[in-house]
Amino acid sequence: MTVLEQPQVKEGVDQETVDAVREIGTYKHGWETDIETEYAPKGLTADIVRLISEKNNEPEWMTDWRLQAYERWLQVNEPSWAMVNYPQIDFQDQYYYARPKSMENKPKSLDEVDPKLLATYEKLGIPLKEQMLLAGVETDETSAVENRKVAVDAVFDSVSVGTTFQAELKKAGVIFCSFSEAVQEHPDLVQKYLGSVVPMSDNYYATLNSAVFSDGSFVYVPENVRCPMELSTYFRINAENTGQFERTLIIAAKGAYVSYLEGCTAPQRDTSQLHAAVVEIVAEEDAEVKYSTVQNWYPGDENGIGGIFNFVTKRADCRGDRAKVMWTQVETGSAVTWKYPSCILRGNEAQGEFYSIAITNNYQQADTGTKMVHLGRNTRSRIVSKGISAGQAQNTYRGLVSMHPRAQSSRNYTQCDSLLIGDKCGAHTVPYIEVKNNSSRVEHEATTSKVDEDQLFYCRARGMDEEEAVALVVNGFCKDVLQELPMEFAMEAQQLVAISLEGSVG
Amino acid sequence: MTLSPRIQEITSRRLNDLVLPTGGWSSEARSAALNRVQSLGLPSNRDEYWKFTPPETLTTAQVPPASLFVDVDESPVFGNIDRLKLVFVDGVFDAAASDQLALENVTIERLGESKDRDDHWGREVYGVLEQSGQVPVARPLAALNTAFATDGILIHVRGTPSKPINLVYVHSNETSDAILHHVIKVNPGAECTILESGPAAARFNKCMEIDIADGGALHHVRAQGRDHERRAATHMFARVAANALFKSFTLTVNGRLTRNEIFVELLGRNSMAHVAGACVGDGDFHHDDTVFVTHAAEDCKSRQVFKKVLRNGATGVFQGKILVKPDAQKTDGYQISQSLLLDGDSQFLAKPELEIYADDVACSHGSTSGAIDEGELFYLRARGIEQAEATDLLTLAFLNEAVSEIDNEELADEIQSRLAAWLMRHRPS
Amino acid sequence: MLDIKNLHVDLEEEDKSILKGVDLHVDAGRVHAIMGPNGSGKSTLSYVLAGRDGYTVTQGSVSLRGDDLLSLEPEERAAKGLFLAFQYPVEIPGVGNMTFLRTAVNAQRKARGDSEMSATDFLRMTREKAKQLQIDADMLKRPLNVGFSGGEKKRNEILQMVILEPRLCILDETDSGLDVDAMKLVAEGVNALRDDGRGFLVITHYQRLLDHIKPDVVHIMVDGRIAKSGTSELALEVERNGYADILAETAL
Repeated sequence: MTVLEQPQVKEGVDQETVDAVREIGTYKHGWETDIETEYAPKGLTADIVRLISEKNNEPEWMTDWRLQAYERWLQVNEPSWAMVNYPQIDFQDQYYYARPKSMENKPKSLDEVDPKLLATYEKLGIPLKEQMLLAGVETDETSAVENRKVAVDAVFDSVSVGTTFQAELKKAGVIFCSFSEAVQEHPDLVQKYLGSVVPMSDNYYATLNSAVFSDGSFVYVPENVRCPMELSTYFRINAENTGQFERTLIIAAKGAYVSYLEGCTAPQRDTSQLHAAVVEIVAEEDAEVKYSTVQNWYPGDENGIGGIFNFVTKRADCRGDRAKVMWTQVETGSAVTWKYPSCILRGNEAQGEFYSIAITNNYQQADTGTKMVHLGRNTRSRIVSKGISAGQAQNTYRGLVSMHPRAQSSRNYTQCDSLLIGDKCGAHTVPYIEVKNNSSRVEHEATTSKVDEDQLFYCRARGMDEEEAVALVVNGFCKDVLQELPMEFAMEAQQLVAISLEGSVG
Repeated sequence: MTLSPRIQEITSRRLNDLVLPTGGWSSEARSAALNRVQSLGLPSNRDEYWKFTPPETLTTAQVPPASLFVDVDESPVFGNIDRLKLVFVDGVFDAAASDQLALENVTIERLGESKDRDDHWGREVYGVLEQSGQVPVARPLAALNTAFATDGILIHVRGTPSKPINLVYVHSNETSDAILHHVIKVNPGAECTILESGPAAARFNKCMEIDIADGGALHHVRAQGRDHERRAATHMFARVAANALFKSFTLTVNGRLTRNEIFVELLGRNSMAHVAGACVGDGDFHHDDTVFVTHAAEDCKSRQVFKKVLRNGATGVFQGKILVKPDAQKTDGYQISQSLLLDGDSQFLAKPELEIYADDVACSHGSTSGAIDEGELFYLRARGIEQAEATDLLTLAFLNEAVSEIDNEELADEIQSRLAAWLMRHRPS
Repeated sequence: MLDIKNLHVDLEEEDKSILKGVDLHVDAGRVHAIMGPNGSGKSTLSYVLAGRDGYTVTQGSVSLRGDDLLSLEPEERAAKGLFLAFQYPVEIPGVGNMTFLRTAVNAQRKARGDSEMSATDFLRMTREKAKQLQIDADMLKRPLNVGFSGGEKKRNEILQMVILEPRLCILDETDSGLDVDAMKLVAEGVNALRDDGRGFLVITHYQRLLDHIKPDVVHIMVDGRIAKSGTSELALEVERNGYADILAETAL
């Protein structure tokens, strides 16, 4: 990266954006942690599944569940309907379990964790000390929110390194721990809810995950409890040639509220790596869950070499009346993304929302969207999707809005906008709309256009270079979604928008 | 790709009973098309674009019978329009009922009539546009049509005829299975209007290939027949050259199953395609518009406007795509699909798609579904218009956006009056 | 002509009481004005009289020239001579303004047992009356209220009123969003219709419309009831002092 002059502040330009654009040449989190790692043998067999279960010290029912999933997986085919192309994945030529050697005996507290691991998260800006706050927040002097706490579950390759603020959360009655810990400590809850939203047979990748998931996060917010802080999980892939398969289960009991953040990064490598996660959310009567993701897996280089294959199944079941789930995602990373965070609006007056920014540059491909399945009366859903495609990338919104016959008087509004930067990329919209009653109203709108030349010219006439101008205009294009993100993420996301488009113009 | 045993069985069972016409200039195209059907296999509900419409009754060897319908309450569609009338009864040309195949600036002949002429212009079009329309989505029923069509009309438009050509389809046999294939070639700067009307057969498979040269224009208006039990799978393939225009409007009232596929390629600069449809269905009615518009040249414009009014368990399907190829800069693409559900039993299934590989474009689509707007209804009633009439008025207004895509006022009025009459007949008692 | 007795109305969806015992009598040939602060129930009264869904009458009665108004459908009320000039006229794309007018005229004539008006007669009459309201031919051709400015919409409401010749005209905040010239035009239209056989209920927030349409009686509506009635002096009083005095009075 060439050394740039000290950035000057220009009137009307977001300093964060300017800094981000100037500072970053390529992927920011592409370094790796030099650490001793133990692997399960390469490939996937029933024995590997048993081994993963054994490593996690799981009870028999859990092992059986995994094996059942494995048997199922052998019988199903990889889906081919998404608008993504990638080389055939050899599922036998990779590791399904990788654990830092130092995690062999699970540390009792974060103080016992290998300093190299802690340093990894520090470098990523993820606070694993409870007195620290998420990077960026503390420097924001205008912010009135001091001492905003965020509890973090840090997942490194196949294992959870530690979870912060557990004690304080426990006082409020909230359970927040790694998935493996939940299997040990709260088997009744895990058994009751695991697979109840995303069945093990749901789809190829979810089935694979059900067989080999190694860790993840578990959240239980009891009746009428408002979770006192934001919860978050940070996923880091470090080991080479290893897939990461985590599983997250969030349960919000009657009247509960929780906001959950998810972040992820991986080192820069020439070979692609597989990530197949499952997230299940259960929202009971009057419960509300906000789930925000900033997905920043390694996207591959400017020639399309390397990068994460990101095949994720995320679904929320709004079981009770007036339950509300909101998905917000900023998808900037991964070579290939296949992801449709969805809401089953089962309860009457349940609400589902999906706000998405998906940015693809170079040779990235994203096929992402949502499903809103309206089953209850007076249910509401809202979809706002912003796709930005640059370089040689392909960006697809794929969504389903389904109004069942008994979902009387329900509403959906969908807005999908795509922006194209350069003439080698593609932007596609594939919505499915199924309306089976007439008291419901469904509205879908979509547009595709290029970055407005007049806006760009206006910015440049005010002294911005082309890339800054594009970043600014694109940030404006994404504003509807960015403003839905929790503050901790909004700033990071805004910077990512700029970074992801690096090299897309000129 | 090898076909599943189930599809192989469906396909061979259907093909067994059909006879491939041989000899003449079309025979190469026919055998190539037969190969296409055999390798594609006939559609099943597993196919992405047959998810919303069950294809079974369109692919069986036996024709599901459809009783005849006598529309005593209405005069024949386009009956008052000055036109050249060409009649097909159950898929067979009826010379006695038709006008002379003579119209200035146009050459009209039956498919197969001059089949021994090796240099026939039809060679460049017959099966050629259909084949090009098999990508990106297979249309095996159209390939089947190219292979086995038993009749059809070839129209060569050399200038601008004074009146429209009306293909009139009569359904007179309860188990007729008609396969018609028409070819229309429009010379540079020429302009013509083609009308189609009537139910054709118990089961109707129709293919129309339309080749429009530079600066040419083709207007197409059709009213699919009112027989309640008929089934139809129709395909229109249009190739539009520079500065040329293709406009098509379809009215569908009644019919058990209608699948209208339209595939338009804008191949020349500054060309334009408008495709529109209005359908009204009551009860056992399944209507499917599957429309693909491909922009393959710069500065082209396309519009898709589809409106459906459904009641008593009727189903409306819309699958539409605007595909913009990498070099088709300055594309202006618009698509709207809307349904008005007049009661709680009906359903609307839609998949409006955009697939875009060029950056300097303005493309948009919209899709809505819902009931009559209560506020509008009250406003009309507050002015003294009774509920049923107010509902009809709003329904017609809803459909009007599609009907107004027809340029010719006389034709638009004809369609409008048919819709009004249908609504009047179908007022809930 | 219009007799409202002890009218109580709830909002259906929110189970909220809006009108709490309205008594009002309008004689033929008279202009009644209803004023009142926002949320006092003025517009609700106009909607309930016109028969809009979403309201439940829990008590009371309304009769128009002897007919029980509340048992009638909206179109039957219109045929009986009730006309509501909407505060927010509805836009209906696809329905031409002329088509709409003719359908309405003929529907009402039919309901009254009269023959339909011929197309030529209708056209002549509409053009003439439109001219008086400075409504040009283009506005008559366009879809109903679509893309009309605020003033155009209100003039179009008055045109409908002039053409339909109702017995009881209710004007719901017809002056809102109008400049002085447009308001004069609207008032002229209304004044031209004043005669011994016709009653008016003019709902307004401001006194200024009443400079142009002189009311015989002014009512002040507060919290779902007629709090005070008087001559046009009362409107001037409100203009000077606002509603505060009246609010204070009624609170006692």
